[in-house]
Amino acid sequence: MTEQRARNDDEFKDAGLYKGVHSVDLEEFYTSGHRTCQGCESALVMRGFAKVAGSRTVVTGATGCMYVANTSYMTTPWIVPWMHTQLAAGGASAVGMAAGIKALQRKGKIPKEKINVINFSGDLGAGDEGLGGISGALQTPYDLLIVIYDNESAANTDIQASGLTTWGAQTTFTPSGSKERIMQKRWKKNIAAMMAIGHPNVKYVATACATFPATDYLNKVKKALAAGGPTLLHTIDPCPKGWDYHPRYSNILGELAVKTGIFADYEIINGRVKYTYDLRKRERLPVKKYLEKQGRFSHFAEEDYDYVQSMVDEMWEEWELPGILPIKGGLSVERE
Amino acid sequence: MSLDTNDLIRLEVNYRGIFQKTLAKHISTDVVYVAHSEGKTAFSNGRYSDDPQRNGVPCANFAYISKSLSEEDLEAEASAAMDIKEAELVIVLDDTMVKGLEPWGHYGIRPINEKVISGGTILFVSSRTPAELSKLFERKSFSYRIATIRGEASFSGLWYFRDDMTDVRVLGAIAKLNPGIASIESVLSYVKSKYKSDQKVEAARTAFEEVTVAEVTPEEGIVWPYPKPVLPGWKEFEEGTVVRAVKRGFSLGPRGQNRNTDFKRGTNRTQRPVVRFDICTKCTLCWASCPDEAFDPTKEGYYDVNYEYCTGCGRCADVCPVDDCIVMVNEMNLTSNESFYNQYLKNPSSYVEEIESIKGKERTIPEHITGKGNIVKRVEKPKAFKEVR
Repeated sequence: MTEQRARNDDEFKDAGLYKGVHSVDLEEFYTSGHRTCQGCESALVMRGFAKVAGSRTVVTGATGCMYVANTSYMTTPWIVPWMHTQLAAGGASAVGMAAGIKALQRKGKIPKEKINVINFSGDLGAGDEGLGGISGALQTPYDLLIVIYDNESAANTDIQASGLTTWGAQTTFTPSGSKERIMQKRWKKNIAAMMAIGHPNVKYVATACATFPATDYLNKVKKALAAGGPTLLHTIDPCPKGWDYHPRYSNILGELAVKTGIFADYEIINGRVKYTYDLRKRERLPVKKYLEKQGRFSHFAEEDYDYVQSMVDEMWEEWELPGILPIKGGLSVERE
Repeated sequence: MSLDTNDLIRLEVNYRGIFQKTLAKHISTDVVYVAHSEGKTAFSNGRYSDDPQRNGVPCANFAYISKSLSEEDLEAEASAAMDIKEAELVIVLDDTMVKGLEPWGHYGIRPINEKVISGGTILFVSSRTPAELSKLFERKSFSYRIATIRGEASFSGLWYFRDDMTDVRVLGAIAKLNPGIASIESVLSYVKSKYKSDQKVEAARTAFEEVTVAEVTPEEGIVWPYPKPVLPGWKEFEEGTVVRAVKRGFSLGPRGQNRNTDFKRGTNRTQRPVVRFDICTKCTLCWASCPDEAFDPTKEGYYDVNYEYCTGCGRCADVCPVDDCIVMVNEMNLTSNESFYNQYLKNPSSYVEEIESIKGKERTIPEHITGKGNIVKRVEKPKAFKEVR
């Protein structure tokens, strides 16, 4: 175990990882004056990767709340170039951008230097509609980073359920009624693990929360950009609008998502799994602590909390790789 | 189209996006139903450019009531409009909007009384007096009325609606302020049939009786300090819908970071964070957790809030590990958007004294679910809510 950890850390010794909160760069490349909600976590995710990637960066963004919030009505908070692309085109736009830069550099039209290409797509843009494009991008040899900001809904169009919405949550597609209390009956899609397992050549896949543990998310962006080739980052973004809590508590909810184990925080470096917040060794907080603070679960009965708890328990206690891979991928083989 | 619209009454409901969305929907639809019950034609809709809404961003609903127009004519008259130009009755559900509105579909900061006409009325849900509010208005060339019903702004939530009866109280006040929309009898019988609750009927009746009205004369108010918004025409758009980026620039100190100068969001605030630099430990957490990049790092290692851009979400106050270092203060208690750090540098002790007197001894700590309201705590143990971790 220690040998493996040494290997993991060694790999990124040149990536210039932040040693603590005071070493984080002060300059912003995504600045104030955007049309996001009060307390928006996704804005913080955007701010974080722009800060880490620095001035030599191009960003593409699929349609979603973070697209509409950032260039509408002829104003923008961006300092680095940003381009809007269609809802399902996140992966394709990043590939095109990376390939274009490579071609221009080969022909000597622009100087040879490292230019970061980042695509920022939401849980609907990347996890559902754009899944094919993201998968295609991860099979290319180009240096690009795909960041999936997951606020568990189509938050731009006023909170519709997506494939990544937590079981039981109220959305405009899944309102709680008097006959049926629970309308969101799907379990959350395991997007980061699915992409890591399905694309074995990808050198770096990670999940993160922008504020917890401190600087961990920023360092994961550094590692993803340093790893080379296509990489993927999946962040859990508490959304005060759709999750219905006071914007003040975005930090607490992000922290609780990790500490209760409902969101597994890990990185997969060249196929080796490293848990950032290892709940196999730490005490897991009851998942109710996380759910009861959100208005979208205000219709939950005690049995609903118990059901989510049992699913999270199973994920951490029985899966082959907790939070990543159920035993035999959750499949069983039919007897010959 | 030439229609006799002399008896058309227009109503504007100003509210904070998401927090008060359900509440505002109740008010504007209830008005339509009550007017219908009196045999009038009525119609309501939301301002088109407000959607998709964002937490705290000022939004508006409209209602139109007419005695003579047919439904088709009223819809033709009213439904295609993205915004209304004037209103007989303007309702404001959060009094901090008196400092200016910056809806996210429009350029510039607009005055709250922009739409009110001569002889019209503007109604606030507020615990302040009409005189306190009207001194922040833009000066008009005519007289109109300001009215208040007592109460704190109701942030009643999206999925979970906390019913504090603000909706029926506003209905009661409407009957008083503009009986042309509906009489109090119709309002009470509508409330009775909708909610089957005597308490709600009583709340509407009390509001009808208690609403405070005052005259706003042409001399009152201020000269509006913000430029009037001008939207760019299609000829000014660049090829391929290019939007010019913010120029790179950063230096230590207040206002050292270059920001988007065309869209500032200070008017989204109902509360603002106030920093006690003298007890700050320079831990960086407020700056690191700010989703609006509103903190300016200073040479001395402190973090100064840029109030032109701070949206008042309160994340900084929540993560601050020092008791009482960052505290959220009601926006109405403060006027200046200037750098507090510069004030602190000039005279640290008078700065601390001044902000302590503004902060007072009470802290409002919101529940996690917006709909469940606020808890007011005494300052002795201001960080008690940290226990949730």
